Amino acid sequence: MARIGEATAPVEVQDALVRARTRASFVPDLLVEARRVVNNVIAGWHGRRRRGIGENFWQFRPYVEGEAVARIDWRRSARDDHIYVRDREWEAAHTVWLWADRSPSMLFRSSLAEVSKESRALVLVLALAELLSRSGERIAWPGLSDPFAARNGAERLAQYVAHAEKVPARPDLAPVRRFSDVVIASDFLDEPEETMAWLDRLVRIGARAHLIEVADPAEETFPYSGRTEFHDPETGERLTAGRAETFGEDYRRLYLARRETLARWCKKLGWSYTVNHTDRLASEALIRVHTAMTAELDTGR
Amino acid sequence: MNFLPLSFGAPMVLWGLIALPVIWWLLRLTPPRPQQETFPPLAILARIVRREETPHKSPWWLTLLRLVLAALVILALADPVVNPRERVAVSGEGLAIVLDNGWSSAPDWDRRVATAERLIEDARENGQPVILALTAERPAQEIGPFDADSALQRLNAAEPRPVPTDRPAIYARVADALVELPGASLAILTDGLAAPGDEAAFAELLGQNLSEVLWIEPDSLSFVALADSANEPERFTVTAVRPEGQNAPRQVVAYASDEQGRRIAETVISFGPGEARATGRMQVPFELRNDFASIGIDGESHAGALRLLDENARRRRVGLIAQSEADGAQPLLSPLYYIRRALGPYADLVEPSHPELTEAIPELLEQKPAAIVMADVGTLPDSVRDSLVEWMHAGGTLIRFAGPRMAAAEHDEELMPVRLRGGERSLGGALSWSEPQPVTDFPPNGPFSDLSPPREVTVSRQVLAEPSADIVERTWASLADGTPLVTGAPRGEGRVILFHVTPEATWSTLPISGTFVEMLRRIVQLSRNQGNLAAEAQDSAQRLAPYRMISATGTLVPPGPEAEPLTPSDDAPVTLANPPGYYGSEEGVVAHNLLEPDVELAPLARPEIPVPVAEAAYAFDESRPLKGPLILAALALLALDTLAVLWLGGQLRRRRLRRAATAASVLAAVLLLPLMVPDRALAQSDEPQPGDAEAIAATSVTRIAYVITGVSSLDAVSRAGIRGLSQFLAEKTALEPGEPAGVDIATDELSFYPLIYWPIDAGAPMPSEQAIARIDAYMQQGGTVLFDTRDQYSAGFGAQGAVSPETQRLRDILSGLNVPPLEPVPEDHVLTKAFYILDEFPGRYRGAPLWVEASITAESRADRPVRTGDGVTPIMITGNDLAGAWAIDNSGEPLLPTVPSDPMQRVYAYRAGVNIMMYMLTGNYKSDQVHVPAILERLGQ
Repeated sequence: MARIGEATAPVEVQDALVRARTRASFVPDLLVEARRVVNNVIAGWHGRRRRGIGENFWQFRPYVEGEAVARIDWRRSARDDHIYVRDREWEAAHTVWLWADRSPSMLFRSSLAEVSKESRALVLVLALAELLSRSGERIAWPGLSDPFAARNGAERLAQYVAHAEKVPARPDLAPVRRFSDVVIASDFLDEPEETMAWLDRLVRIGARAHLIEVADPAEETFPYSGRTEFHDPETGERLTAGRAETFGEDYRRLYLARRETLARWCKKLGWSYTVNHTDRLASEALIRVHTAMTAELDTGR
Repeated sequence: MNFLPLSFGAPMVLWGLIALPVIWWLLRLTPPRPQQETFPPLAILARIVRREETPHKSPWWLTLLRLVLAALVILALADPVVNPRERVAVSGEGLAIVLDNGWSSAPDWDRRVATAERLIEDARENGQPVILALTAERPAQEIGPFDADSALQRLNAAEPRPVPTDRPAIYARVADALVELPGASLAILTDGLAAPGDEAAFAELLGQNLSEVLWIEPDSLSFVALADSANEPERFTVTAVRPEGQNAPRQVVAYASDEQGRRIAETVISFGPGEARATGRMQVPFELRNDFASIGIDGESHAGALRLLDENARRRRVGLIAQSEADGAQPLLSPLYYIRRALGPYADLVEPSHPELTEAIPELLEQKPAAIVMADVGTLPDSVRDSLVEWMHAGGTLIRFAGPRMAAAEHDEELMPVRLRGGERSLGGALSWSEPQPVTDFPPNGPFSDLSPPREVTVSRQVLAEPSADIVERTWASLADGTPLVTGAPRGEGRVILFHVTPEATWSTLPISGTFVEMLRRIVQLSRNQGNLAAEAQDSAQRLAPYRMISATGTLVPPGPEAEPLTPSDDAPVTLANPPGYYGSEEGVVAHNLLEPDVELAPLARPEIPVPVAEAAYAFDESRPLKGPLILAALALLALDTLAVLWLGGQLRRRRLRRAATAASVLAAVLLLPLMVPDRALAQSDEPQPGDAEAIAATSVTRIAYVITGVSSLDAVSRAGIRGLSQFLAEKTALEPGEPAGVDIATDELSFYPLIYWPIDAGAPMPSEQAIARIDAYMQQGGTVLFDTRDQYSAGFGAQGAVSPETQRLRDILSGLNVPPLEPVPEDHVLTKAFYILDEFPGRYRGAPLWVEASITAESRADRPVRTGDGVTPIMITGNDLAGAWAIDNSGEPLLPTVPSDPMQRVYAYRAGVNIMMYMLTGNYKSDQVHVPAILERLGQ
């Protein structure tokens, strides 16, 4: 009987040379797919729709005492008796930290899914990078780059990822500052408490996080039966179940309870929590995350 | 071990069963191998799985299954045998086997051989020499002593013989041989039937120095043999015997076959309780009985169950004698005429070549006839009378008919059943008061008792018997007034019968009634052939070659090498040299049957035996090794175990089963598909083929065709012209042509059209060679092409001999065709009279002749309006532009003017078209039709 799940070849290989070559071909593929996904979403990605520092006209408003006189728009004010200030549309760039989990557990791909979780996570993150770069946001990969703004942000981010020397199990969240957004694509299979612990820094500095749980359908539906030996790709631990189908129900309950816990925690913090199954389209998660980020930008501060 | 009939070939292997607990312990510890799966959320799973006990032992039933599997394998290796054969205890210095292989041993011969084989096997183990003697073989056979191997070979080569056993001779040989082997064991394998000389034979055999006797006889003698058969007048009787001492009631079915082996009659023979002899009757017609070649018994396969019949059981020879041979020109008055007609189908009629009685009767007697018919023979010469009486006493049947000569003859006691009064009696004559007498019921004592009396028969003259004491019992038929009509009396083995009337219809109407045939047949059946013609007509030293032998299994086979010619006699013994069967050749055979008619099958009594006796019965070796079945069971369990392991491994889940079911149905569909293909192929043959629609359209109505030349104006005129002609035809005649059909001679099927109009245009492309060949074929097959050069007025204006381009083109075309000799339509051609009477065929132009095939052979007579002749011209050529004259537009108005512009010319053009079409469709019918008045005139004479 064919196995249901397998650990796919990692998107990056240990050997440096091979890795470079693989990355070079692989990352553009991801980019292309990311672009394709982005094109579906770009129509909903407009400007800030709010007053702020920028170059384009936004509105005239009456001068309020105390404002710098230099900001008065004299040409407009000359038309009537009031004094107006010209507001410009806010065009300040936002910093979004993007990170995709690339640990061994993410390399899992079951026969029910099209791609491995890692592939899906990278696609999502790079697609977001593409989106954000186009709208001029500053993007960064914690531990790999400082925030930067560039039209080719996704390519640059891919470059960084491709040349990353080691793959940390968790992102280095130290450089993240307040008012930044953090997008984390992972499978969040650890205990929810553990996950909350390492995300605690974001809570404390007041950054906003968007968690994307990339889940394989086999992990959720547990289609195993019969005598099965499971092994954990991260810890190497092995576990034998005599008749696996008897554990399905309990397992599903625990699995969904974990997700529920995390989602509720995120909601409480005002974060978004998106689940993307690898047998579904990446665009679905992308739209959700995009909506969450847009809504936040509009209604947040 | 003897509550179970089981033994082991290798009992030591059974110790392996001790290993079963070890196997059990190992099996308990070895769970089935799990499926390996990578599973990232293992931590979550681990929280539940750890709470439950992981079964790491096999389920108990799987362990049991495997234990049984192991036990079966061990048992199989121990080579168990069920029903092991019992050893026949044989001791002594050697073993002598005396095996009966006579005819009665055939049904269970295999069992006898198996029994003897076991004895020889046991002797082999003891290293004893074996004497093997078969009692139905020749006494000179080799009987040993042999070693066990050659004894077995001889035993397997032995076969039952279709002859009785010859115990005295064989036992004597065995007794001689036993002298060399003192203290040997003797196994007597009898067939259970007593035979003459048994007592002495056993005494001699058992008088030897024996250590032990093994007496083996059949459990029961359940066979039935045929002892006799007789072809009686009304029936065929079969006598079967069975060994005495068989007391249960029994029924067997005996059947009769003809020479081809076809079964033509059968009967049931029932043995009552304690009866050893029973008789069955076959009530079948005489004709069928004559076809009997052999009698057999169903379900009995030995030589005694087949009895052969030869000529003696069949047709009788009947000699015919008449003193006054009537005039050959009046056969109905011949005294023997009715007798010949009556007996011919049932008997071989023999007539003497010499009319003199002194010559004729010895000649007849030489033929050994069953009966002799004498029609109105008076006194016999003494020399022949004595031989005739002798023949009659030996069993011959003499049938006499009365007549004037007999009435006048002296009485002869031997040759007459009753004393006759002198002269004859006349009834119903002109000078008599009495009426012709009818025949009354046949008396019950005679052979005619079950015939219905012929009421229509009347007797007007007869010879009268003197009343005597025994006249009643000698009377076989009598008249209504009580006077005998037929009388009969036995004479020794035979009998003499007298019909008191003549054998022709002068004295009575008896010879012309059906009852006469029945009576003669009955009498002939009572008679018996006096000896076998083929056998006794020749030298008694003549020996008959074997022809077809009865095999030991009761079938007819070609003679074997041991069969020798038979000297026929009643008591020729059945021996190996003369086995039962047919002797002779295809022309005539003598049946040599195994059993005498009076045979009794007595069971063989066991003689007094001075040494220890062991009794046994014939039996097969019924031991059956169990190794194969056990291994098979182990394999089945192995398969079961595999399934169980798969199930435990979770690989027999529903989804997979469903997938398997899908695969199976796909496979079934693939297998069934070829079965459906022929149907599809059949269906395809009914599907429309391309061109069908055109063909149907072209043939459902008569359509006149024109050649599409490629010049569109010309084609339009052709089409309009044909349409105009069609319209004219529909108005004036019974022919209603369909739409004009434009044909492309290169591609379209031409044979649908009776006439193709072909306007020639020099501007049109020259048709290809293939197209011309098609036109040629069309003309050869009965079609007609009407060429129209339309150049009547353009031709002939130039220099003499100049031709118009159209004519030139026509010549080019015709050069590729097989054009018959042509002529302008002669005056009496049928074209001129096919519908209208015409003398010319104008079109738009006038004056060009219409060329048709020259009717050279047609006869033209001045008194006939039309020349006769067969066939329709395949080609017509005109220059008058017929289509131009016929052409009409949509409103029915003429399209083109005629030249000169004469309305009547157009009418004539139409009429010409009508005549051409009528000529096309009716052929020479019209030429015959116009002769009808002449024919009628001739008939009216």
